[in-house]
Amino acid sequence: MLLKCNKTIPERAKHFVVKGSCTPTPGGGCPVASNVQTTPGDMTERGCTYAGCRGVVGGPVKDVIQLTHGPIGCSFYSWGYRPHLADSDFHIKYSFTTDLEESNIVFGGEQKLLQSIIEAAEEFPEAKGVFVYNTCAPALIGDDGKDIAKIAQEKIGKPVVFFRCEGFAGVSQSLGHHVGNETIFKELVGSVEPEGDFSRSINIVGDYNIKHDIRTFEPLFEALGVRIITRFTGNVSVDEIKIMHKAALNVIHCARSATYIADMMKDKYGTPYIHVTLWGIKHMSDALRATAQFFGLEDRAEQVIEAQVAKIMPQINHYRSRLAGKKVFIYQGGPRAWHWPQLLRELGMDVIAAATTFGHEEDYDKIYENVGDGTLIFDNPNALEIEEVLTTYQPDLFISGNKERYIAYKMGTPFVNGHTYDTGPYAGFSGMVNFARDIDRAINAPVWKLVQKKARPVPGWNGNRNETSMAEAF
Amino acid sequence: MTVTTTPKATVTRQERVVAINPTRTCAPIGAMLATYGVHGALTINHGSQGCATYPRHQITRHTREPCEVATTSLSENAAVYGGKENLLIALKNVYERFHPTMITVCTTCLSETIGDDIPAIIGEFQENFPEISIPIVDVNTPSYVGTHITGFDNFLEVLAKSLVRRGRKPNNKINIVPGWVNPGDIRELKAMMHEMEVAAIFLTDYSETLDGGFYSEKPHFPKGGTTLEEIEDSSNSMALFALQKHVGGKAASIYDRRYGVPSHVLPMPIGLENTDQFLSKVTEVTGKEVPESIEMDRARLLDAMVDAHMYVTDMKVALFGDPDILEGLVRFTAELGLRPRYVVTATDSKQWADDMMKLAEELDLDTEFMMKTDLHELHKRVKAEPVDFLIGHSKGKFIATDENIPLIRVGFPIEDRFGYHRKAIVGYRGAMYLVEEIVNAFLSQKTVVSNTIMDMRDLEGCTLTNGSGNGHGHEKMSEMVKEA
Repeated sequence: MLLKCNKTIPERAKHFVVKGSCTPTPGGGCPVASNVQTTPGDMTERGCTYAGCRGVVGGPVKDVIQLTHGPIGCSFYSWGYRPHLADSDFHIKYSFTTDLEESNIVFGGEQKLLQSIIEAAEEFPEAKGVFVYNTCAPALIGDDGKDIAKIAQEKIGKPVVFFRCEGFAGVSQSLGHHVGNETIFKELVGSVEPEGDFSRSINIVGDYNIKHDIRTFEPLFEALGVRIITRFTGNVSVDEIKIMHKAALNVIHCARSATYIADMMKDKYGTPYIHVTLWGIKHMSDALRATAQFFGLEDRAEQVIEAQVAKIMPQINHYRSRLAGKKVFIYQGGPRAWHWPQLLRELGMDVIAAATTFGHEEDYDKIYENVGDGTLIFDNPNALEIEEVLTTYQPDLFISGNKERYIAYKMGTPFVNGHTYDTGPYAGFSGMVNFARDIDRAINAPVWKLVQKKARPVPGWNGNRNETSMAEAF
Repeated sequence: MTVTTTPKATVTRQERVVAINPTRTCAPIGAMLATYGVHGALTINHGSQGCATYPRHQITRHTREPCEVATTSLSENAAVYGGKENLLIALKNVYERFHPTMITVCTTCLSETIGDDIPAIIGEFQENFPEISIPIVDVNTPSYVGTHITGFDNFLEVLAKSLVRRGRKPNNKINIVPGWVNPGDIRELKAMMHEMEVAAIFLTDYSETLDGGFYSEKPHFPKGGTTLEEIEDSSNSMALFALQKHVGGKAASIYDRRYGVPSHVLPMPIGLENTDQFLSKVTEVTGKEVPESIEMDRARLLDAMVDAHMYVTDMKVALFGDPDILEGLVRFTAELGLRPRYVVTATDSKQWADDMMKLAEELDLDTEFMMKTDLHELHKRVKAEPVDFLIGHSKGKFIATDENIPLIRVGFPIEDRFGYHRKAIVGYRGAMYLVEEIVNAFLSQKTVVSNTIMDMRDLEGCTLTNGSGNGHGHEKMSEMVKEA
């Protein structure tokens, strides 16, 4: 399917399908081209491998020095913008960088890296280790950061973990998640063998504790009689990561960014895993049931679910009555685009378009399973495509990230931030109420009536879209 | 490390190698921001995708506006074989899909390190598509040189060299290069020029493009921005005013030498004295007098400074941010009777060091001017010798929270508050706004009955500091309180 804005880049057509009018693949979905190179200059929303590794997987680890090996920008931009909270804030408050300059590019940055690790460790003796993230420049000049990390580790007596996550590797943030998983697994997991009984313990894998999501569901798992050892990687300490191999079960929330580590643990330690979704009433209930079933605790699960659902239903029904029938365009990094159609259905809403920034084939198969016929499914949207979909599909709500919020606003489309949440947390049963309330606030805000009635055209513009200064886009 | 010193003030440079909480980012964002000030222009960032996505996300968080920047999406292949193909494709796609009036190609660590010859690639593109006649400029913005302001400054240099048309028809205008300021600052400068009946070309003007309105139909390109015609015509202006030395200084000398446009590089017009200097220069060049409306603003500012002095005299302040904003703020805070104790910039500039020492001597300041320094270093200073408040961008909030002192938000980025991109700190009205912010930050920490502070410590403090003027009142005051 070719959008009007893509007539000069027809290769974009294979990234679009409409459910119900395509021939399903063996996987059961529709063939959506994904996880491939972006069309240069198409105004993609994608980020880089460094962003996926430093920003998503490594960054939430709360008690390590988050050190970027590179010029200044990478560290500045990844500093404190993503609310992957913990019960302490060292990881949000501080961003460290080797701050490479021209002379380092010419003569190499290895000595600066070594000195930086030592200085940072001296400055913050309470830190439990150092995560070093590689960037484009030192990768190109051939710095051997891994070797330096080894030397530094001996000098400071704490783990120094080197991530090969230079931005130009891969096609999106997604490779950065993979690098993050693999490196943490190889360097840390299993490096300590604790005593104790871990027979009823789990890891939550692929939750980053955005706005304290974990607080909504951790007590529920505890109520089952299951202990969470390690949260990978929201509100987690490096010591907890070291012992995550002890868990009896891995419970995977974000399949895209963290199945890697569960697979590696399965291979090496035989740890089984289950895929769950920790947002929404049905999903959260299913997650508790599946976990309980593994441990033979089904009865408790039903009690917990019943009590929690009873608590939130009056509010959910209230919001449902205000939101029923609304149409949603959801565009997320990856799995939320298939996790959330169910949540929206629980509020009486329908997804009419779904897209991801870095989803792979499995993600598109899952989207396909979770949306109705006629839904537009597409990959790696760019700015003009987003505008065209908002214009032609006229959704009542757009769920996406900060960068896209203001495009939606300028077009008069209500918006909820699905990446870092407007209020939050959105996970668990209680988070579902926050999610519903934010959607209600977005859709039913009086400001939309005001702009519909009162907004005026751009002054001095005769409305001719072909005028050079307001060149026609599609 | 001490760079220079007077009996009271010093310029230092950070010794620690690892940067912790930097007060600077890298160059491409500067070129992107400046390009937003040209109507209908778009930037292609030639590098990894993050190099476009991170900066535009940052601009969006500051302005709460859409910010589009294209990327050539370089990957491993490009790292090995060069990024030429990607750039050629990106140029075509951006042109065909967006129809911009101009394209800025800015570089990154990646494209600079692999050595892509950007002018040659652009040349090849223009040969392949002779019908595409829009200007395509290239700006060097490797992240490992300078700071975010370097990218802005480099863009202005390229603008001066390649977008201006030599001309001999005086246009009766002046050029104003505001530098890295907020949309609100540009609008304030425009308002002042309007009141003075001086026609001005702004190089560049993102006052509307990054602070636009809500319109019943979203225009394809945001309204506003300096047009290419205005930029071409800027060689015919009677003078150029660069209001930041480090952002626009290089362009100013090009206008001077190449186009014979007399160029004045002035301290940023923050506070009374610097605004006086700017406006009197404008009068000198244009013959247009400062009108009554501006004179009244000036008088109101002085009046407010008088009203404020019993609250703020001798209070210690730490400032951080870009060098030219700091130069303006140092003079202004000193005018107001504050003691700028630490002044931190990430820029390493001899000119700045020299200018600051002159300022310190003239104003009798006991300031430590900290070049190429990060916010963690400032935090350590503030812990060792506390200040009453901070002035700088949002990244200083961690110090403010830890030390429980107010942060007056000025500069870029301000992401944890609403609407600061609309605030002007330039001109008399901008200074008035700063006086109010400072006094209100102070009052919000006190118990106030009617208009009187009910805080015995500070009442005592006022008695002690009054007349002494040596600025040590606060320490003495707290000692007295402890003894009592």
